[in-house]
Amino acid sequence: MVDINDTLDCRGEVCPYPDVKSKRKAKKMGSGEVLKIFIDYPLSAERIPETMKSMGHEILSIDKTGNSEWEIVVKIK
Amino acid sequence: MVDIFVVLLPGLILGIIFGIILQRGRFCMNSAFRDILVLKEFSLIKAVIIAILVSMLGFAIMAFAGIINLSPKPFAPVANIVGGFIFGLGMTLAAGCASGTTYRVGEGMMGSFVALLGYSIGAFVTKSGAWAEVKTFLQTYKISEEGTGANLTVFGSGLTPTLMLIIGIAGIAVVFFFWILPMLKKRKASDSKMFDFSNMGNKIFKKGWSWSITGLLIGILACFAYVSSAAAGRNYPLGITGGWANWLKYWTTGADSALTWEVFLVVGVVIGAFISSMIAGEFKLRVPKDGKRIVIQFIGGLAMGFGAVVAMGCNIGNTLSGIPLLSVGSIVTTVFIILGSWFLAYFLFMRK
Repeated sequence: MVDINDTLDCRGEVCPYPDVKSKRKAKKMGSGEVLKIFIDYPLSAERIPETMKSMGHEILSIDKTGNSEWEIVVKIK
Repeated sequence: MVDIFVVLLPGLILGIIFGIILQRGRFCMNSAFRDILVLKEFSLIKAVIIAILVSMLGFAIMAFAGIINLSPKPFAPVANIVGGFIFGLGMTLAAGCASGTTYRVGEGMMGSFVALLGYSIGAFVTKSGAWAEVKTFLQTYKISEEGTGANLTVFGSGLTPTLMLIIGIAGIAVVFFFWILPMLKKRKASDSKMFDFSNMGNKIFKKGWSWSITGLLIGILACFAYVSSAAAGRNYPLGITGGWANWLKYWTTGADSALTWEVFLVVGVVIGAFISSMIAGEFKLRVPKDGKRIVIQFIGGLAMGFGAVVAMGCNIGNTLSGIPLLSVGSIVTTVFIILGSWFLAYFLFMRK
């Protein structure tokens, strides 16, 4: 298990807030830190990892934890 | 009485298929347009462009074969500009375009359900209620083709089918060389099979579909929809707004005549999205975390309904169905839908 430095709960957020908020959060965090994102919106669950990768961050895991619920773990570059 | 075999079943079945594609492909033009600006993400807009090109080619072939009569929408500059822009603002607030909002209802998103209520009310009230005068006023100034009086298309009605064919073929070729081929090469380079048919069930029902497949399928569906809809007496491809306006009209007036092909199509979209999200484990009844969001989505829905009726079509009627027909009105409306969406998205998501 990796240590999680910070979490972001995007459950119940509508399009495109999960994307925008996780992008902003990632920008604020320091290099090497790990962010865990909770999300319940299918489109963003696919798009956030893509956006994070294009920003240069590393996706450590994407877990589907329930009906329309995902947990994404990102390591900030 | 509603004709079951010409109106009800074809509309419903095509709607269900449409709903499944929308849900699996996450096909929402609100996201597609906005992400160009906000996230610099282009996969959804690629799906939109492919769907438009495939439809254009399909419609052209069917027109030459005499299967359909091309029916581009009229050009009413003021209505297209004002309606399109207000629709664009509305969909940003409602968190989904006409098709996006509709399929998300099937995924159990209550915010989209409220937006859809606002959308139906806005559309019905503008079509034949208290706001109808505003619509009539905005649509007064129309520009038709000189001589023939036909609805204005980019190259004139005589040349339209030929140019649809040319643009369709050329466009698909360009897309293939610049988007599809690099994607296939990348797949080959990363050592995965170019066409991997193993585990298809999982790919179809558990993972999101790629933009290329989504765009292609929607384009093909649009061709079937054109024929089916014309047989039901509505000579036009896919549409959403008229469906929800008539849906509300049916429940408020009880008139059977309001139960059109388009009504069954939109109801089918909700059912299709429900089925596919259930199978994928993506269905969940959920409300927005922030309660105020519901009110904002309702207002957004109202604005979308108003805008779509004024502009004579939403992002499906104008962008997906109207651009392939090269209607000037549809193209102008689409430009202003995008501008409306960018205008509001800039203030909401990009300013620090």
